[in-house]
Amino acid sequence: MSDFLQMGLTGLSLGLMYALIAIGLTLIFGVMRIIQYAHGEMFMLGAFALYYWHAELGLPYWAGVAFSAGLIFCLGAVLQVVLFKPLQGKNILYSLAVSLGLVLIISGSGQLLFGTTTKGIPSAVSGGMLIGGAYLSYERIVISAVSIGLIIALWAFLRHSVTGFAIRAVAEDPQTAALQGIRTDRVHWIAFGIGSAMAAIAGCMMGTLLSIVPTMGFLATIKAFMIVIMGGLGSVIGALVGGLILGMIDSVITTTISGDIAIILSFVVIFLILVFRPSGLFGQNWD
Amino acid sequence: MDKSDIIASPNRLVWGGLLALALAAPALVGFDLYMIHVGITISFNVALATSLWMIWSLGVISFAHAGFMGIGAYASALVLTKLGLSMWYGLWIGAAVSALFAMLIAVPLMRTRAVYFFMASWAVGEVIKRNFAYFKSFFGGWDGIFDIKPPVLDLGFLQIDFANRIAYYYLALFFVSLTVWIIYRMNASRTGTIWWAIHENELLAQHTGINVFRQKVVCFTIACTLVGVTGALYAHYQTYISPKSFDIWKSEFALVHLIVGGLTTVGGPVAGAISLTMVDEALRATGYFRTIFFGVVLIASVLLLPGGLETVPARIRKLFNRNSQK
Repeated sequence: MSDFLQMGLTGLSLGLMYALIAIGLTLIFGVMRIIQYAHGEMFMLGAFALYYWHAELGLPYWAGVAFSAGLIFCLGAVLQVVLFKPLQGKNILYSLAVSLGLVLIISGSGQLLFGTTTKGIPSAVSGGMLIGGAYLSYERIVISAVSIGLIIALWAFLRHSVTGFAIRAVAEDPQTAALQGIRTDRVHWIAFGIGSAMAAIAGCMMGTLLSIVPTMGFLATIKAFMIVIMGGLGSVIGALVGGLILGMIDSVITTTISGDIAIILSFVVIFLILVFRPSGLFGQNWD
Repeated sequence: MDKSDIIASPNRLVWGGLLALALAAPALVGFDLYMIHVGITISFNVALATSLWMIWSLGVISFAHAGFMGIGAYASALVLTKLGLSMWYGLWIGAAVSALFAMLIAVPLMRTRAVYFFMASWAVGEVIKRNFAYFKSFFGGWDGIFDIKPPVLDLGFLQIDFANRIAYYYLALFFVSLTVWIIYRMNASRTGTIWWAIHENELLAQHTGINVFRQKVVCFTIACTLVGVTGALYAHYQTYISPKSFDIWKSEFALVHLIVGGLTTVGGPVAGAISLTMVDEALRATGYFRTIFFGVVLIASVLLLPGGLETVPARIRKLFNRNSQK
């Protein structure tokens, strides 16, 4: 019993972190209809920004998270304006190609600048507690709380703020939104920045939990895409549900059978979801 | 996507010139073994990119393409290492196994559309790769399969050992030319026109009486069969294969070749695969800068040369026309 509780708790915290990465990606797709394949690199750069801030310079942890998020927000906004704006309205393949180029550039220069050795970020909190025989570290609790907090904050932002309304309007119908006087270009870089910043914060969280290497972005991209596809592109709820499903599969199957089977099984699950619900669990039909 | 001008100008001269150049290439580089290796790599990449382009004529891109190349490669390699049959059998068995899997997987896969198709096919490709890695006793796990011998052609009066790189170059060239020719012919045929009709508007195509689903499955299967043959050739050339050889990056690079080359004619992927493989090999010595430069080349070509390399002749022509009018 305590084994299952342990797996469930691990799966939950993992799933929330996955959801954090995936929601950024789904926001970017929903608003701009582009495939941001370099989303995982934002995650990686976010983790390294915190590493240099906290572990190398010794500056406070939470300020580092904010610094990293701000930095990646700016990077995302600049990338959108410089690289992705000219591709607006073109076939989705072009955005895939450009972001693939970004992956190569960022992960290549990452290996050059940061080195290929694994690094770790010292965590902000230590210790843990026992719940019904399952061990839960405070670190994981903090990470889960941050993830939940950010997801709720994003939801409230999209629901209730003026910019959030504008983002949703552009996601719904860019032309009509533009006719209503919404500056779609501004919405685009804001959405791209927010999406990237969320990946960066997830990177900061992951960096304290695991070790960081410049090549870790690719795996994050894979996970994020798996989740987003499972939940339906452009759907925030879908990303949350997909993240939890994937987190549970990862945690339960990796512990009970093996890591290889967990990956195979999660791909099979995605494939089946797509076959029976061709637009994902909560997705609309994009063409 | 204007298809009429593809048929109107077959550019036979260019194709013939390219083939002649490819035939003379080993002599031109002075039978340098490294350069011939580059030539063989180019051949494989051309076959991969053109058969991916064939799926693109339906309006979708498959990320499972390297996976099906892997199926062909593993089938051919296992036929040799377990049954002792040479590549001359392996080629066709690889193609048949690849076709069978493609047909079985295409039936559910083709239910998904547009961007979901990329991701579903990507899942298929990953599952194929992971299965090669997981079943250790049969597929050799992450270590892969060693000692896949190249074949010997015995004509009675003449024996050609394909362990010789120059001989293998011509073998690869033959199969690549065949692949490109088949794709070119299919694309120019009535069937090809049907595929482009589906590409343009699936709903409208269905209303004109086209069995869209069947056409999609057929096209996917043919493309995967062709890439299965390429995979078998690849296995016997490298003499070593592992799941890593057929991961998502291979499909992605094929897509990159396609986009840089151009998407409307078969010349696009050919031009893209040839030029980018050369760029990649030229940058080989630069280490990490290789990936960075490749990324820069990719982004620059998408942003600065929309339409790809295949639009270069038209651009040059336009430039001259404008000058002569003045």
